Amino acid sequence: MNEATPVRRRSTVRINTTSDQRINDSKTQSQYQPYKDAAWGFINHWYPALFSEELPEDKVEGIQIAGIPIVLRRVDGKVFALKDQCLHRGVRLSAKPMCFNKSTITCWYHGFTFDLDDGKLSTIVANPDDPLVGTTGITSYPVEEVAGMIFVFVREDDFPLEDVPPLSSDLPIRFPENSEKFPHPLWPAAPSLMDEGAVALGMHRTGQSNWRIACENGFDNAHILVHMDNTIVHALNWVLPLGILPNHEEPITLIEDEDGPKGMMQWLFTDRWKPVLENEALGLKIDALNGRFYRTSVVMPGVLMVENWPEEHIVQYEWYVPITDDMYEYWEVMVKVCPTDKEKAAFKHRFDRVFLPMCLRGFNDCDLYAREAMEEFYADGTGWDAEQLVSTDISPITWRKLASRWNRGIAKPGKGVPNATKTSSIRLRRLAEGKAPGYFVQKIEDVNSY
Amino acid sequence: MTGTAQHRVTLAFSDGVEHEMAVDPGGSVLEAGLAAGLPLLHQCRSGSCSSCLATLVEGEAATLPGCSSSLLASERAAGQRLLCVTGASSDCRFALPYDSKVGENRAVEGHAFVNAVERVAADVMRLELELAEDCWFEFRPGQFIQIKVPGTDQTRSYSIASTPAELPKIELLIRLLPGGVMSEWLLGQAAVDTALEISGPYGAFFLQEASKAPVVMIAGGTGLAPMMAMIDVIRARPGRKPPIHLSFGCQSAEGLFHGEAIALRSMWLPSLTVTTSVDRGPAPDGVRIGNPVEAVGADGPLDPETVAYLCGPPGMIEAARRHLQALGVAPGNIHAEQFVAS
Ligand code: FES
Ligand code: FES
Ligand SMILES: [Fe+2]
Repeated sequence: MNEATPVRRRSTVRINTTSDQRINDSKTQSQYQPYKDAAWGFINHWYPALFSEELPEDKVEGIQIAGIPIVLRRVDGKVFALKDQCLHRGVRLSAKPMCFNKSTITCWYHGFTFDLDDGKLSTIVANPDDPLVGTTGITSYPVEEVAGMIFVFVREDDFPLEDVPPLSSDLPIRFPENSEKFPHPLWPAAPSLMDEGAVALGMHRTGQSNWRIACENGFDNAHILVHMDNTIVHALNWVLPLGILPNHEEPITLIEDEDGPKGMMQWLFTDRWKPVLENEALGLKIDALNGRFYRTSVVMPGVLMVENWPEEHIVQYEWYVPITDDMYEYWEVMVKVCPTDKEKAAFKHRFDRVFLPMCLRGFNDCDLYAREAMEEFYADGTGWDAEQLVSTDISPITWRKLASRWNRGIAKPGKGVPNATKTSSIRLRRLAEGKAPGYFVQKIEDVNSY
Repeated sequence: MTGTAQHRVTLAFSDGVEHEMAVDPGGSVLEAGLAAGLPLLHQCRSGSCSSCLATLVEGEAATLPGCSSSLLASERAAGQRLLCVTGASSDCRFALPYDSKVGENRAVEGHAFVNAVERVAADVMRLELELAEDCWFEFRPGQFIQIKVPGTDQTRSYSIASTPAELPKIELLIRLLPGGVMSEWLLGQAAVDTALEISGPYGAFFLQEASKAPVVMIAGGTGLAPMMAMIDVIRARPGRKPPIHLSFGCQSAEGLFHGEAIALRSMWLPSLTVTTSVDRGPAPDGVRIGNPVEAVGADGPLDPETVAYLCGPPGMIEAARRHLQALGVAPGNIHAEQFVAS
């Protein structure tokens, strides 16, 4: 060794320390380290991509999930999904869709053409004899379409297709098949997206917070305080407690059946949880008339089910689909089984007039701003150490642990994708133009002007 | 015929890449291969470290006169050879237990800083290092590095317990031996920020390509280190995870360590089962009395495709090989790293 050259350390990073005087002490935190690492989401899971009606025949759309840009195209009714990042020089195929036949999509820049089915590079427009043709391609993603929703299995490039699990393993548990295991004496069996005749009505929009902050809000039993003044609560005179406290040694039961979804069920509105209706010190008392019983459960990769909500025979599903580490696509979907067109029309009628404006907006708007209010505390990573959790937070802690166990992979930070670089000049210019960064690709609208 | 004629030797890497070359009489296959520029794993070049292990699949090849090999008779009978001390007695063919790209992780020399030194059991230290600016390498989980013991001219080898993704950090688990030079340094002088001279990576013991075949890992004492690295890498691999049985054993309860780290892995990896054993009691809750070898296959037959990794003292490795072969595991699927106390 040359003694004259000093040995130097690499530049080091700061390490946070954690106090032991709280529920999420360092030992508990280490149990959910994989969850803390999942800022860009969990990968190798099924996520909703679009409502069916957002992708009519022959349309091409570009979105981003867990740092992976995805292009979708519908041909003869069937939906295909490929990585929306050209093999050649990374352009998004969906920015200016170009399709010359029913089985391929072509990159509008230099003509690399990919098979919709498996992503293989099948030709290059002006260079069909290039030796690269047929030897390589882009990743394809399995697609399922149910009850008016398109789901994509967002996988790592080398996740084997034969290992892809069925969609049902990433959807909430179903009833009545689970009614014995999870009895619900106060309401009828909740419908499922997979039920015959199921109709899903809802909306999706971009929230500006990490997907985990969003997801944890959905089943946080102390957060219902934020809904105290929502219009629908007062209009319908609902008894919405100030909060709900765990009151049993097993307030939450894990859902871990071999081939089914993995998640947890909260025994709300049983003796395992105590609704708090009064705070004397603050002079607060809920004295509404109409009981509004519901129950929340969550399964991987972060799918909320609110049974018996907002009224009987309807269930509300939510997804918090990671886009980047600081944005998620918030999906709010109500499902009802409507065997006849008449029932379907009635559901749609009530959805448009009441549920959409007063529940999905109104009530859930509250959740959206509450999550964004938490984002900055967690954005630099220190919030996960600094938070001081209490007994009701058994819900997020249980979720973090189960997610650490049952995830099929931790998404890597997006590579070469929109909004991975927070300060890129394009991002800043678009912001200046009033276009918030989000879920959909920025399309080239007019080919002759810019 | 030995020693008189040149023979043609074919080396077949596990990824299908093959090379044919001539081996001179009296010369070793390893030397001939390295001279031909092949990426062959090796280290001591004297028949003791097992880095150059290969399986003779055709022809005849014997230990060169005047050399000795650390292989057991049973291993030799199964076709295993250490290429550094093996000559060709006829045209022959060897299968290498690694692919043609492994040798590209060539060993480098450089420095690493001590980040932490911590006693984790009566006779085990955890040493966390961080590669200095002058040193970078890639490695496969299971491989080891060498450290020059400060103030001496001795080097010691230790398997890496952390994963390549954690580089530049490296975690080692080191057994304390009364009077051992490294042990004395660790107990007496080791301090955070000390720069150590290291080299690596070395070794032909590493995690094989992803497959669905069940995995058995038997670790004696600090033989746990490479298993921790392999488990963490399997956990991060895409696709359905194979069932893994880790059987970890120590002499007594005072020798047990890493209980929490192992418990976390079983929490995060549903396909991982762990058995912990101590040779002699008393045994804490959940720990069995007995050796870690017998714990494997105790509750049912093994899948014939099982891939096994063994790391520990020579006696344990030999017992484990015999036990696993009796349970139907193919000799070629048993990968072992033995360590000699020093
Ligand atoms: S960037 Fe797509 S063809 Fe060149
Ligand atoms: S190189 Fe060490 S045994 Fe051959
Ligand atoms: Fe809410």
